[in-house]
Amino acid sequence: MASIALKSFIGLRQTATEKTHFTMQAKPVSPKPSNHRTLQVKAAKTSPKVTGRNLRVAVIGGGPAGGAAAETLAKGGVETFLIERKMDNCKPCGGAIPLCMVGEFDLPLDIIDRRVTKMKMISPSNVAVDIGQTLKPHEYIGMVRREVLDQYLRNRASENGATVINGLFLKMDKPGDGEAPYVLHYTEYDGKAGGAGVKKTMEVDAVIGADGANSRVAKSIDAGDYEYAIAFQERIKIPDDKMVYYENLAEMYVGDDVSPDFYGWVFPKCDHVAVGTGTVTHKGDIKKFQLATRNRANDKILGGKILRVEAHPIPEHPRPRRLAGRVALVGDAAGYVTKCSGEGIYFAAKSGRMCAEAIVEGSENGKRMVNEADLRTYLEKWDKTYWPTYKVLDVLQKVFYRSNPAREAFVEMCADEYVQKMTFDSYLYKRVVPGNPWEDLKLAVNTIGSLVRANALRREMEKINV
Amino acid sequence: MASIAISASLQTVCSSHQVTKQPQSKPGARSLGMKEATCVVALNVEANSLNVSAQEKSALRIQKHKAEDAADSKSKDGLRGAELSAVKFRDERWKNGTWDLNMFSKNGKMYWDGIILAEAKRRKFLELHPEASMNDDPVVFRSSIIPWWAWMMRSYLPEAELINGRAAMVGFFMAYVVDALTGLGVVGQTGNFICKAGFFVTVIAIILIRRTQDVGNLRKLADEATFYDKQWQASWQHQNDQTGKKI
Repeated sequence: MASIALKSFIGLRQTATEKTHFTMQAKPVSPKPSNHRTLQVKAAKTSPKVTGRNLRVAVIGGGPAGGAAAETLAKGGVETFLIERKMDNCKPCGGAIPLCMVGEFDLPLDIIDRRVTKMKMISPSNVAVDIGQTLKPHEYIGMVRREVLDQYLRNRASENGATVINGLFLKMDKPGDGEAPYVLHYTEYDGKAGGAGVKKTMEVDAVIGADGANSRVAKSIDAGDYEYAIAFQERIKIPDDKMVYYENLAEMYVGDDVSPDFYGWVFPKCDHVAVGTGTVTHKGDIKKFQLATRNRANDKILGGKILRVEAHPIPEHPRPRRLAGRVALVGDAAGYVTKCSGEGIYFAAKSGRMCAEAIVEGSENGKRMVNEADLRTYLEKWDKTYWPTYKVLDVLQKVFYRSNPAREAFVEMCADEYVQKMTFDSYLYKRVVPGNPWEDLKLAVNTIGSLVRANALRREMEKINV
Repeated sequence: MASIAISASLQTVCSSHQVTKQPQSKPGARSLGMKEATCVVALNVEANSLNVSAQEKSALRIQKHKAEDAADSKSKDGLRGAELSAVKFRDERWKNGTWDLNMFSKNGKMYWDGIILAEAKRRKFLELHPEASMNDDPVVFRSSIIPWWAWMMRSYLPEAELINGRAAMVGFFMAYVVDALTGLGVVGQTGNFICKAGFFVTVIAIILIRRTQDVGNLRKLADEATFYDKQWQASWQHQNDQTGKKI
């Protein structure tokens, strides 16, 4: 996805209030995309032109979703305001990004602290399987520091013309009638730490809510709730000789002791490791699960010092309403985290970009007012592109994270080279590849065999000590 | 770190005992050891450091041994051969992370049942006492080395017998009833499409519904399979509800 800087014809006819900037043309400015859903109002062709100014859009939240959205909006000629509460926020996050994100978002390679090329999956009975033998030399999973990545994306948005505001979004007044603006109430900090901040208001035409799992924008549009998992993580600095083992290796521990419905992990970060676990159903026992995870990795992190303890919610599924009027949710606020692996950074950035593209296109580079139908095209495109990925991961989680026998079968299956190749292909490039049908059949047979064996062993286990 | 590991394993043992609902009362020494271990854990976590004094380590280890022995003598009657000195799983047939197949052969024949039993014991042990995964002592055993017929003979024959018996009984009874109602004998029934379809459905039902709770389980499974889809479609349903409404 190369971004070619082109001055469009529309850009040349800019009004005086606009800053001069390059506008990116992803597609030619063509007739509105026709929606085959008869329920939708035909888009912005009939919307009035916005006179005297460009379309104003506010992006609430400056993480990967907000940064990507603001950049695309600004490049598209829309007047963009990015409101972020804490500019140096060190987010509790796994920090893994797939290979395709580096290319699609033009990330500089020095953002990536570490390239993980090997993964180890460890079953409840400590059967350890190495994954990653099928990776080619240029393929890796990038580990980033969130504060570095978020700052980079925000800076890029700002360079393209977005206004970055350090403030906390409070609430939003919905417009009375069709074309009236949304009034946002926020507290501006302006870089002063610990200060009370100045209460301000802003009028915008559309809002993108990218403010994360506890989104206030979602609350103000009654988007509904989702189930969420709690991820608990400790950052541990381990001795250098132990750090060598984790040079480019990440570990995943599965088992009832580690988590009843998720996994425990040891991920290498810039100079320490992050040891954590998560759960949806037994949130109260999270500390116990964390101790169990540390116990399982015992020798490998012996002698380490805990630097930081952090926890955050992970949405399990999208909110019931991701869109209302001219307000759209993206990223964690919308609930775009995959099951099974809990991956969210790439999908946040991608959804921010997709939503911004829909706004840019619907408003014809900021010249016309958008309406709900334009934002719905983003939802349509998103669901169509990524629904298979989400569904497959959901099925995997339901089948393989159910119980210890299922987890044993899972780890056994991961030893298979075909499985590894398919897994990495779909993770690194975010496409569900069909694959060889003969191998698929063999894989299905092997999966059933593993599940049958593991369940037979469980029945034997139940006979002992009954 | 070691003491946290030990106290963590103590905690896990206690909680997993609760999870598996084993009807045993914890010996007094053990609960005392647990409380003290919890205090130590809390202190260590607050101090934000995993380095502990040797004194604490040795004190905890003694307590753990006492508690461990007390627990094991009560719990693992079947595992007399596999008693341990530390928290690790020990068995004379478990070598280098896998089962030594030579020790399972009787009179030159492989005794696969023995391996299945031994592996079940090992997994049970590990469920109750989760062990750290060691790099220098990896587990390389794969259950796929046990041939498929060994699994069948051990676990699935009784159930297969049950299902076949049920199918035979239902089949005979239905053949009689259909003959009485329609006059078609068994030979005539096999030629009739409706009878064949009914036969197919009956066989599937007998295989899937073996216990009374299977009906509920299957319904829950169907719900589960479609729940995620419903969550994703929720945004579109709201749109349909609000056609023409302006916000």
